[in-house]
Amino acid sequence: MADINIGKAPPNSAILPFYATGALAFWLLCLLLLIGADALTIFYFNPRLLSLVHLAALGWGTMIIFGAAHQLLPVVCERDLFSPLMASLCWYTLTAGVALLSFSFWNFSTGWLMISGGALVVLSVCAYFCNAVLTSRICRHYSIARLFIVTSAAWLLFTTAVGLLLAVNLAYPFFDKNHLEILKLHAHAGLAGWFLQLITGISSKLVPMFLLGKSEKEKLLHYACILQNTGLILFLADGYFWGIHPFRALLYAGIAAAGIVCWLLYLYDAFRHRIRKTTDVQMKHTFVSFLFLVMALLLIPVIVFAESYRWAILYGAFLLMGWITGIILGKTFKTLPFIVWNGHYKSLSGKVKVPLPKQLYSEALVVWQFRLFIAACLLLAAGIVLNEVAIIRIAAVVWFAVASLYLFNVLKTLLHKTRIQ
Amino acid sequence: MIDITFTDPHASEKMKAQQALYNVIDPELFVNVIDLGLIYDMDFEKEDAITVTMTLSTPHCPMGEAITTGVRNALELIFPGKTIHVNLTFDPPWNFEMLTEEGRAQLGV
Repeated sequence: MADINIGKAPPNSAILPFYATGALAFWLLCLLLLIGADALTIFYFNPRLLSLVHLAALGWGTMIIFGAAHQLLPVVCERDLFSPLMASLCWYTLTAGVALLSFSFWNFSTGWLMISGGALVVLSVCAYFCNAVLTSRICRHYSIARLFIVTSAAWLLFTTAVGLLLAVNLAYPFFDKNHLEILKLHAHAGLAGWFLQLITGISSKLVPMFLLGKSEKEKLLHYACILQNTGLILFLADGYFWGIHPFRALLYAGIAAAGIVCWLLYLYDAFRHRIRKTTDVQMKHTFVSFLFLVMALLLIPVIVFAESYRWAILYGAFLLMGWITGIILGKTFKTLPFIVWNGHYKSLSGKVKVPLPKQLYSEALVVWQFRLFIAACLLLAAGIVLNEVAIIRIAAVVWFAVASLYLFNVLKTLLHKTRIQ
Repeated sequence: MIDITFTDPHASEKMKAQQALYNVIDPELFVNVIDLGLIYDMDFEKEDAITVTMTLSTPHCPMGEAITTGVRNALELIFPGKTIHVNLTFDPPWNFEMLTEEGRAQLGV
């Protein structure tokens, strides 16, 4: 081959545990949602909701994203991953950290157990951050996706470090500021710094690739990066030093939202110029997830001015269960079967007839997963708005069905045995 | 599809190679590399080697290694004893005008 390095995938042992653990965490999350449905009808700072949120954000969202990012970083950078060993360390520490954190939040046992969980998560993020920075440092070409991956990793490090301080503060109070105010800053650093920027970066590569689409408007992604970061930095700095002020918070949300609009316009341009006209169910999952993101943004003025905490819970539900979960449910089957397929059939391709990646999982189940996902989101939103535990419990049953279908399909893919036709 | 003229002294080998490459499928797009227009050239000038100049639908294609390995494997089967060199290029970059009619039909363009 010529001197073009197309980025060698890291060993599957460094990637697949993230997917398996993430799928299990999602299943457990939906089970706990069923058990602790009433946590969504009371003020959001309650042990069960804190446990659910951390399991969703770290055990589910971050776990799967870590797996995908370790796989995609070498592809984006056209270089090998700096250290697969560090990726494994990242998995061990994140899994142990999430287990400790979720358990201690559920029982609200503040102290060393919760602090140890938080410290393990920070350690995991340090390993991820180093791997992301050191892999992209040897990147041959500048790419906006790479910039988003690195900035999002920095935001994740900041978020988890603040989270650890909050865990310490619960047991040994030392903040001279309101714990709940810092909690809001911590949550938004995670949502707008880590998830939003990582998803912006990765989707700007993957969505055009899957659609065979192209956008010449890469400037939009640069604007997105500037606006998302400016909005978030202003919100955090102002909120920390002068307290969260409703009108200024709205202004900063507006700046970050403008960054989101730039990113979505870029994706829409790639969609308009796509070659592949048919949209598969995985891409539909992605598009629907964007709707939940937009709905969450539209809720911000309501949260700022309304008295009821239910809107804040709905906002979190739209972001964690609608947007982040939606995008992961779809993208898993756009990445995982290919990773597994590469391990089984890469060297056999062209020699013998081998199954296609889409034959490693059940597409029919993904279609049902998509339908149930929409039903689960709508039911959950209705339950939160009406503050009705029974509806939230019904939603949790549907969520449990979604998680079971997803877990089955992920395990079917992971446990695939080499089959030559 | 690569141009094969009857005046080309290697026309017969190129036809055989092209036939073999119909079996190499892009695992994401489910279309073979010939109909996708990924193969730019095949050089049979050297007696003991074949050099394939090809591209990928995107420089960041995670299946790139599988596709280039597939090309190498398929040609090794048809031309045992010859060394297969895959020369990957993104100049010119792939675009949908490189698709054959069959490729367009399969992608639903």
